[in-house]
Amino acid sequence: MGERIVFTIAAASALSFGTLVVTLKEPFRATVALIGTLLSVAVLFLLLAAPFVAAIQVIVYAGAIVVLFLFVIAYLGERPIVEIGDRLGRYQAFAWLAVIGLAIQGFVVLATTQLPGVRDDPKQVGDIGSPEAIGRSFIDDYIVAFEATSLALLVAAVGAVMLAKRAVKSEGGR
Amino acid sequence: MSLASLAPLVDAAAVGDPQEGVPLALYLAVSGGLFLLGLLGVLTRRNPLLLFLAVELLLNSANLALVGFSRYWNVTDGHVFALVVMVVAAAEVVIGLGLVVAVFRQRLALDVDQMSSMKG
Repeated sequence: MGERIVFTIAAASALSFGTLVVTLKEPFRATVALIGTLLSVAVLFLLLAAPFVAAIQVIVYAGAIVVLFLFVIAYLGERPIVEIGDRLGRYQAFAWLAVIGLAIQGFVVLATTQLPGVRDDPKQVGDIGSPEAIGRSFIDDYIVAFEATSLALLVAAVGAVMLAKRAVKSEGGR
Repeated sequence: MSLASLAPLVDAAAVGDPQEGVPLALYLAVSGGLFLLGLLGVLTRRNPLLLFLAVELLLNSANLALVGFSRYWNVTDGHVFALVVMVVAAAEVVIGLGLVVAVFRQRLALDVDQMSSMKG
C-alpha cells in the first residue's frame, strides 16, 4: 500500500513538473522545474530497486547538469534577446498532431500488450541495483560500452574547450 | 484485448486495493507521459536552452522505462544502459551549452529558427 502511495505522489509530481518545464517561459524557472522532475524520477528509481541509479540521478543530473544549465543561464543573463518573428509558428499544429498521435499509439500498445504479468504485482527481485552488481555487469558484459562512454566524455570535454577558445577569439580576446 | 483492459489497472490504482506493489504498466505510463511532454517541448520550443531541457525530459523517460524493464526481467542490464544514457546526456549538455554560449557571443538571437545558415 505504502509503495502505491509513494508511487502516486512521485509520478504526479514528475508529470506536473514536466508540464512546467515545457510551459514556463523563463529559462531559469523551467530549469528549476526540471530539478523537481529529476528528483521525482529518482524516487521512482528507488521504488524500482535501483538505488545506485537513483543516487547517480541526483548527483549527476540534479547536481552537475542542472548546475551547468543554471550557470549558462546566469552567464547569458540580462543581455537583451532580440525579438524576431515566429516564422515556424504556423507549423505548431503538426507538433500537436505528432504528440497526440504518439499518445494514442502508446495508449493502445499499453492497453493491448500481452506481456505476461505487466499489470500484476512485480515479483521479488534479487540484487540487481547495487553498485557491485552494476559494476560486475559493466566489466563482464558491457566493457565495450563502458570504454565508449569514457571516449564520448573525452570528446565532449575537448569539443567544449575548442568551442570556448573560438568564442574568445571572435570577441577579440587572447 | 481491447482498450477496456486498462480498466482493471485503473481500479487497482484506487485506494484500498489489496495489491502491494506497483505493476510495470504504470511505470511505462509515467515514462510515456514524460516522453510526450519532452517531445512537445522539443517540437514547439525555439529557445535552444529550453529545447535542451525538453531533451533532458526525453532521456529521463527512456531511463525510467529501462530501469522499469530491468526490474521486470530481474536483470541488471537496464541499470547499465541507464547510466550510459546519463553519460551521453552529460556530454550532450556540455556541447549544446557550449554552442549556445558561442552563438550568443556572436550577438545572434537565441532562436533555433535563426540558426539556419547550414540549411540546404
